[in-house]
Amino acid sequence: MRFFLIIALCSVLIVGLTTVPGIAAHGQSDQSRIFVNVVLVQLNVAVTDRKGNYVTGLRPENFAVSEDKIQEKIASFEEGGAPEGAIVANADQPSRSTAKSEVPGASQPAAEPPPAPAQASSPDPTHSSVPHLAGASVFVLFDTSDYMYRGFVFAQDAIAGFVRSMEDANKIAFYSYSRNLSRATTLTADRSIVMRGVRSTVAGDEAALYNSLLLTVRDAAQLRGRKAIVVFSNGPDNASTVPPEDVEELAQSTGTIIYIISTRQAQDEPVSSAVFERMSKGTGGKAYFAKDWRDESLAFSSIREDLAHLYTISYYPKPNQNRGWRNINVRLVGPGMDKYRVRTRDGYRLQEQVPPPSQTASGPSTQTDSQ
Amino acid sequence: MKLPLRLRTPSLVCLSCLCACFAASAANFDGPPSPSDHPPAERARATVSPAGETVAIPGPLRSFMRMAGISQEAAPDEVLPLVARNVSLHGYENGGETEYLVLLRRYVQFARELRQFAGEDGAIHVANCDDAERLVDILGYQFAEGCGENKAYLVTANAERAFLTIDSGFPLTALEEAIQKHAPFNYQFPATNVPVLFREQDWTAASTMRQKGAASLLDLLLHDQDVDRLYWALSRNDEETRLALHQSRNLRSLLPLATALEFYGSQISVRSGRVLVPGGPSAEKAWQELVGANPDSPGEFIEHLCARDRGWLAAYYDAISRVSRDEQTHLTQGSRLRQLFDVYRRAGGNSTATKGVFPRNADLLILFSRLQWQQDGSPYIPGTLATWKDILRENSTPKLIQSWVRSARTWDTPDQLLMTLVACSNFPTDVGPLQIYLTLSAIDASRSPNARLDDGTVRLMATKFAQFHSWYLLFSEFTSLDDTSITQFLSAAEAVTATTNPALRSNALGALQANVGLWEILARQREIPAAKVNASWQEAVHPFIGVTSSVQLFDAARNSLRSTLTAASGDPNLSQDQLVELLAGPPQQTDAGRRAHQELAERIRSVLDDQRLVSLDTLFALNEGLDQMAHGSGVKDQLIPLAGSLHEFEMPRAIFTAGEKAAWAPQIYTSRHAELQVRTDLTRVIQSAASPAQLEAARGQLTPFLRDTLVGLNYAWYEPPGAQVLHNNPLFVRSHDFSGTSILGYGHIWSTPDLVGIGVTAGGGAYLIGSLANLPYALATAEEDFIAPENVQALIWQAAGPALLVDAIQPRWWDVSPAEMHAAALYQRMGEELLLAAPGDAQLRQHIGDILGNLMTPRRLETTERAILQTEDITTLMPQITPAEKFYLASEYRLLYPAETASWGAAGKELDDLVQKNPADASAARLSKDFGVPHPTLEQTNACAILSVKPLPAFSGDAYGLLGESWESSNLYWARLADEMGYSPQSLNLLIPELSRHMIAKIFATDLEDWPAILRAMEQTGDEFRQGGIHIAALGPVSQHQ
Repeated sequence: MRFFLIIALCSVLIVGLTTVPGIAAHGQSDQSRIFVNVVLVQLNVAVTDRKGNYVTGLRPENFAVSEDKIQEKIASFEEGGAPEGAIVANADQPSRSTAKSEVPGASQPAAEPPPAPAQASSPDPTHSSVPHLAGASVFVLFDTSDYMYRGFVFAQDAIAGFVRSMEDANKIAFYSYSRNLSRATTLTADRSIVMRGVRSTVAGDEAALYNSLLLTVRDAAQLRGRKAIVVFSNGPDNASTVPPEDVEELAQSTGTIIYIISTRQAQDEPVSSAVFERMSKGTGGKAYFAKDWRDESLAFSSIREDLAHLYTISYYPKPNQNRGWRNINVRLVGPGMDKYRVRTRDGYRLQEQVPPPSQTASGPSTQTDSQ
Repeated sequence: MKLPLRLRTPSLVCLSCLCACFAASAANFDGPPSPSDHPPAERARATVSPAGETVAIPGPLRSFMRMAGISQEAAPDEVLPLVARNVSLHGYENGGETEYLVLLRRYVQFARELRQFAGEDGAIHVANCDDAERLVDILGYQFAEGCGENKAYLVTANAERAFLTIDSGFPLTALEEAIQKHAPFNYQFPATNVPVLFREQDWTAASTMRQKGAASLLDLLLHDQDVDRLYWALSRNDEETRLALHQSRNLRSLLPLATALEFYGSQISVRSGRVLVPGGPSAEKAWQELVGANPDSPGEFIEHLCARDRGWLAAYYDAISRVSRDEQTHLTQGSRLRQLFDVYRRAGGNSTATKGVFPRNADLLILFSRLQWQQDGSPYIPGTLATWKDILRENSTPKLIQSWVRSARTWDTPDQLLMTLVACSNFPTDVGPLQIYLTLSAIDASRSPNARLDDGTVRLMATKFAQFHSWYLLFSEFTSLDDTSITQFLSAAEAVTATTNPALRSNALGALQANVGLWEILARQREIPAAKVNASWQEAVHPFIGVTSSVQLFDAARNSLRSTLTAASGDPNLSQDQLVELLAGPPQQTDAGRRAHQELAERIRSVLDDQRLVSLDTLFALNEGLDQMAHGSGVKDQLIPLAGSLHEFEMPRAIFTAGEKAAWAPQIYTSRHAELQVRTDLTRVIQSAASPAQLEAARGQLTPFLRDTLVGLNYAWYEPPGAQVLHNNPLFVRSHDFSGTSILGYGHIWSTPDLVGIGVTAGGGAYLIGSLANLPYALATAEEDFIAPENVQALIWQAAGPALLVDAIQPRWWDVSPAEMHAAALYQRMGEELLLAAPGDAQLRQHIGDILGNLMTPRRLETTERAILQTEDITTLMPQITPAEKFYLASEYRLLYPAETASWGAAGKELDDLVQKNPADASAARLSKDFGVPHPTLEQTNACAILSVKPLPAFSGDAYGLLGESWESSNLYWARLADEMGYSPQSLNLLIPELSRHMIAKIFATDLEDWPAILRAMEQTGDEFRQGGIHIAALGPVSQHQ
């Protein structure tokens, strides 16, 4: 039921990318490329107050979305934190979340009270006092290069704790990287499989963070719904051939949120910390710099909170001659809304979408899940 | 808790090693199959320990191998040799011990402690949470919140121990789950016995470490580097040789020879109490004089061989041992053996052949492998001796060589040149007289006697060798390019190199090389008819001579391309789409062929699109329109949308500011070429009342775009399977630095390109600097790391990976007939039939031994010869015989014993019939050409061939490429697979790149020379494909291939 409208809307669309494409492969047999004919742009939007508390109970009419300054019409709307979520065809239709009375009076804009900030996050990721994460697909990408050697086992403990805390996320994949990417555990709802993947990692070799992140984004790109990558890295990259700019663009264009958890050691290398901050922000995520790997529980909790409180908004872009990068602007409208902050990706490139990681149907490509 | 540093060692460990992923699915955790569960073929190798003695490895072998950096696919008898090898190579640095060795030793202690904890049944038992405390403590963990459901999870208490627990693959999660479920945890933790070379006591007696507490062989290997080297070296000899040596010398006396044996001893073979010297019985006397010992006394002979002349004699012996028997005969004739060694040793000066990590006889080996001999028994020389005297004078800088060159004035025989070349082989350089000789010899070798290089061309090419040598491989591949074509290319290359305007120079270099590259592709696919190859080359190259402006360069590049298109299709004005179709391959007549062709064309287009390159059609239309405007025609309205399309390219959105880039990536290219394109705006010129001169200048602004599209077509054609950079970094093609401006002092702009900017976060991505020579290898290097290993941390070899990818993407199989592909399968099957028939026929066994002796190392030959005594043994061994060995065995047998070819099985008979009906398609020579691989290092050509050489070791420098080039089995195997599954030959164009990518992902190797790991990965890939586990959609159903 949650996605009934999207499914209806996507009668011309094929499961896959967040920027949901219509498939029009060149030739009869080209499996490697997906061409965008019709685009449904999906945004994951976090709204917080000035203290960083999440604002829940917002309505579609509270959001104004524009693309290259062209005002867009919201096609669907969902609030991640609601127990059942909510989907609205457009701003004229009532929200199912209204029926839950989560925000009383929200269906009556004129009398709408200010939305309620959510409870502050629990610092303990193992306690599930936070809203549910159903529907989210989370890829954990763990740096196992030489740079992680000192904190390897502590970081592994931290990831294990994070995985435990994600009990209600839809599916989790666990990847690790050094010079190459290792898809230790592909997307699964079975936490014990993920835990075994976490504990099977070994340390060593050069670090190709951006190469590996690119491959992870490409795996995530084939999914719809909320999808996020949580990177655990101490920072330096000494082996990538692709630059972070390309990874960020791909993540933005495919609606993949990137969170990066690092230690303050990474801040000693300004280039890495700059990328972490900017890339995560550009994709609608966040970067965290814990004191060390033992002290990252707040970061975990924050990511979990973030994923649970995202509003998912989609729209069909109006005619736009721009064939390159398109800027997205999301703002809140209505009384009292200017005091809240909005975080989402800031644009996407209209381009032929990514080929799957494999041009064949075995190996890594089977490890992703297109729901 | 502070962990010890382990910053570089893991890289070395992981260079070769690899850990199996494991999972415990139940509380009773027995772990994954251990090596003792290997299939029969693996087990067969585990029985070779002569004394039958074993040593115990504490804990599961799987865990020990993980920590020691040994492939999980290694057989038990390989474990100790590989430990010795890894510890010797990676365990010591700058006089100290590396973290790798520290961790390995620490693990052995850790495993012994766990063994003590385990019960008498060799299993660790834990009944419940309370019972687990001691085990958890040993493992370095603790309960985060005490016992109890959902909270009995473990966190690190002792980082050092916890690291060993995780790195060795202890099933910690299974322990956690068992405790959470209040279920018992049982884990088999046995000691594993592995075979020993000789007896353990022999080794402990040989080492001085015994007195220092290293009582067992395992401890000895973890503490005594000399023992490691000797153990590893002897493990690579065949058993008879090893025993002969051991019987005549105790191990302690061999310790000083360990390095020489390790580098150069694997080809030494003792049979029936005598050393089988290269050159055979007729050469024994010469070797005896040289070595100072009789081959009939193996121990003494080997000891002298390794001890004399600082290891150079062993290096010399090894090089000659690796070449074919014919070459050995030539090299050992008369006094040649001693004369050549004398100069080789003298050139070595005071250095030693055993210094460093790699053997030092690579160039000598290449020279000996590639020598051609004239009917009078003298070595062949391209050009004249007089010319070579000049070449030597102009290209010899080392003092020792100069002294040789001075004496060259009195030379009058080719052997004297050969002696100098042998001396040159001991000086590491890429562009010395030896390299000139090898390249020019390779060019002449591919030509008929009346088409060989004339003396003037030899002289010219030698003069220009340092600058243009990477492009000379074209002339050994395309034999109809005559002296004029070569000269003209050098003229054009020099002309564009001499251009003073930096931007024009860069564009000219790129455009010329790209057009030559497109010509090369079309000629290689035989779309340029043989009769037009020479003329079309000259027409493609000539326009670039005399270019002095961007407009002229645009016209030159276009005219060059038009001439190539005319030669290939008859139409100089093909659209870009038609050009892509042409590059994808010749038109196909079958559905399967058309599908493969279409797929390849789409892949080329996808790279062009993702690199956001402007279409040739747009560029040529703009060029013509601007020209027409300059002559007064009113085509302005048609041009504006075209000019607008130049603007569609955008730079990637910046993460860094210009200042940050300058600070954080100061040495790295700043994409000036691409940024210039972004600023190019022809619409203003078109819309304004521009003068003819301004319009002409605007035409020149199109030139950088044209260069990029032409270069992009080359990149796209050589796209490695699974490529990511080509599809995600839109600056990759544009960033190619043809002039070497991005690196101060970069001097070899015509050489094979280097990949730079790796791991420079603010650098905008890696890019190529240098020329387009050997572009497929460079692209494979850039894309290799995107192949995700299927085995955890089973890292891909940095040298072999690109070579394997090139073998899959450079050759194309459009001209292969079904009969030829079937013949490829039949040759391999006939090889199997011969091996399977051998147990019942002594003469056949002799023939097989003689033939395979040319291709196998003594150790491998011994294993094979033993196996063919029993049907069961050879059946077991068969998966370890490579397709190239089977092919070689069958083809040589057919050559040597033509009357018997159909006697040994159905495949041989069918092959006989096929050869009768299709002599051209089914010949071994044709198969070598179509299913072989390029050998740019070994044979100085990109033409494909199966050279049938013994597996080559890893060398340093440019010779590193030899490692990959000596693997020649893949394409033969894929052809057989396609034939047996019913796919068309044209489907190989899709199938081989994809299967090769899967194969590389499966490689699970221990060391750089672990060829069996490639064989295993290849066969696993084939099995998976047969079982439907790999689906290549573009292939379509098999029924459409009939």
